Amino acid sequence: MKKYLSIALALSFAFFGCLDKKEEKGNKQSISETKAKTASKDFIVIGYTESKTGKFATESREQSQGLKLWAEDVNKNGGIYVKALGKKLKVKLISYDDESLKDRVQQLYTRLITEDKADFLISPYSSGLTASAAVVSEQYGKVLIATGAASDKIFKKGYELVYQIYTPASRYLKDAIDLLKEKHPDVIKIAIIYENSNFAKSVATAAKKYAEEKGFKVVVFESYDPGTSDFTTLINKIKEKGAQALIGGGHFTDGQAIAKQVNDVKLPLKMLCILVAPAIDKFKEIGKAALYVSGPSQWEPKVDYSPKTYPEKFYGISSKEFVEKYKKIYAKDPSYHAAGGYAAGLVLQKAIEDSGSLETSKVKNALDNMDIYTLFGHIKFEKAPYHGRQEGHKMVIVQWQEKQNKLDKEIVYPKEASTSNYIPYNKKF
Amino acid sequence: MKKNLFSLLLALGIIFYFILTPMILNSPILRESSFTTLMYIALAISLNILMGFTGYVSFGHVVFFGIGGYITFALLYYYKISLFLALILAGIFAALIAALLGSVVLNLRGAYFAIATIGINEAIKSLVNNLEFLGGAEGLFFNMKIYKSYGGPQNALWLSFYLLGIITIVVLIISYLIKHSKFGLGLFAIREDEDAASTLGVNTKLFKTIAFMISAFFPAVVGGIFFFKNGSIDPGSAFSLTKSVEMIFMVMLGGIGTILGPVLGAITYDKIKETLLVSEAFKNLHLTISGIILLLIVLFVPEGIIGFLRRKIKVLKNILD
Repeated sequence: MKKYLSIALALSFAFFGCLDKKEEKGNKQSISETKAKTASKDFIVIGYTESKTGKFATESREQSQGLKLWAEDVNKNGGIYVKALGKKLKVKLISYDDESLKDRVQQLYTRLITEDKADFLISPYSSGLTASAAVVSEQYGKVLIATGAASDKIFKKGYELVYQIYTPASRYLKDAIDLLKEKHPDVIKIAIIYENSNFAKSVATAAKKYAEEKGFKVVVFESYDPGTSDFTTLINKIKEKGAQALIGGGHFTDGQAIAKQVNDVKLPLKMLCILVAPAIDKFKEIGKAALYVSGPSQWEPKVDYSPKTYPEKFYGISSKEFVEKYKKIYAKDPSYHAAGGYAAGLVLQKAIEDSGSLETSKVKNALDNMDIYTLFGHIKFEKAPYHGRQEGHKMVIVQWQEKQNKLDKEIVYPKEASTSNYIPYNKKF
Repeated sequence: MKKNLFSLLLALGIIFYFILTPMILNSPILRESSFTTLMYIALAISLNILMGFTGYVSFGHVVFFGIGGYITFALLYYYKISLFLALILAGIFAALIAALLGSVVLNLRGAYFAIATIGINEAIKSLVNNLEFLGGAEGLFFNMKIYKSYGGPQNALWLSFYLLGIITIVVLIISYLIKHSKFGLGLFAIREDEDAASTLGVNTKLFKTIAFMISAFFPAVVGGIFFFKNGSIDPGSAFSLTKSVEMIFMVMLGGIGTILGPVLGAITYDKIKETLLVSEAFKNLHLTISGIILLLIVLFVPEGIIGFLRRKIKVLKNILD
């Protein structure tokens, strides 16, 4: 037995040694192949990494499923028409697992570009991984559509070819504050509590600034550590300072806990607006505590974005059609990550069609001038100094309401997407 | 002496292979995959100095990788000093922190030391999370312009690779020199029986602290290079405990306390992961398969690759180290 093992071990070393050599050969070949390939192109290759394992696995899978659905739709119609080549080209997606870690993102993106000959790139999920990928995409002059990355910081860094689909963190709670101002002009004191994590912090900091501009007084502005489950002290502080509205949160679990504990002490807030958690269906598990809690969302299956709502600039399928198709394949409602994935593909498709080319500079030009409405909402990119940051897309605000004694998630803002009227939080006490 | 030199030369040869192939073939893919391999090698060798030679298993060793990353990043971000200087300063700073921490935690032994190092990593992660000038929980992002002084992003990626190559060679040679010095002998004595070593006149406290400092210096420099290359840094990726566990695993896989062991351990671990990750057939199952392979290795070759080869092949018994 042990003899075999030693042979197996020796063989495995030999195997890995050979692999390296194969790679070298492949590389030599690829240079001559590239020239031949451009002349007879049959596919548009789109490369990306998916976090199949690790902490982003759920969100990243949804995003990738949305993108795959887009590719299927395109290929069913024969592909994307590229004017310069005078024909329709089908789309080929190539992806690898980045394990939700920075370690291999650059390695895999380099591979996608040089080995797999990707024409365009889609970002990994999360801002941190996208920033790593962007260094490589800029280096090779490839367009990178960033979906699943809401940070503003990436776009201050002089990237020329990175384009964001999501509403950036700096505008995440802006609409909630606008809504508060509109519905409760008497409210002055508000509280912001947030999880001390990458995303929640940038959202909260921007929200504070915007709220103060709008004339609110932020009486509590506190962070809590990730994993916190007891918010009694913070809630007492909010009560003591006399805040009339509470916004903040971070991820699902803490958001849900805040909603529950605020409900337990019957804090008579005019508005309770929490990040992430209310947008997820599981939120209703806390029963009545979820009632009238609102929260921002990038997109909701209930939104009605279609050629009817935006007749002039609408591109692609309507949101309803997307939801139906998605449900048919994956047997569940798509999350906003999935819609973002589909939208990333659409944006690329539109840019290729507008420019009539697969050349980076021409597609970049088309993206710079893009101003369209899709199933995901408005898409328009900023110019320098925040080149590529999303400026068109707006968040929607959802609120848990009661319909026939059952909790139901409704869209209450903006008006053009709303499915119900906004109800003040303290109405339930 | 012949025995020792052979392992060193073999390890050097392997490292040179990973540095030179991407260079000669001018291949970015090979550069990227060799970068990861070299990074793992350098990290594994550094940890081995503490874990293998001195017998102190640090579960939070990634803390120095993170500290180095943050110091390099902040120095370049705010003061625009040269990368080389920033890396050296990062290394020195990490070593000083190690000295400071060492004076407290190195009094602990076994599991207590391991737990304390995890605690340190988490504490520093929390601290960085709350330091505004380090970007807090959001982290810092480079402006692309920063790469211009290094000849643009493309050259910067090559530069990072060469620097990492140099560091890997340096850490290997240092590890060799330590092992065959009087200082190294003192460390081994501590590993075998600390009380006996102390009785025999080994200044255990000083020896342990120096070993801890050396094994902190190199991960810090590697961290600096890694995050310079990535263009962004955040506490989650800088202080990830997974990397600590990976480091320990690589050392054990190759052969704890040896010169060649961490090199072979790192390569085996990295290549198994990389091959599965990009292979058409396995890329969806790579974690399962690499898990099974690693489990088999641990079950059947618990003494590590070096130990196994020495036991099995008589000729190697006297020359592998």
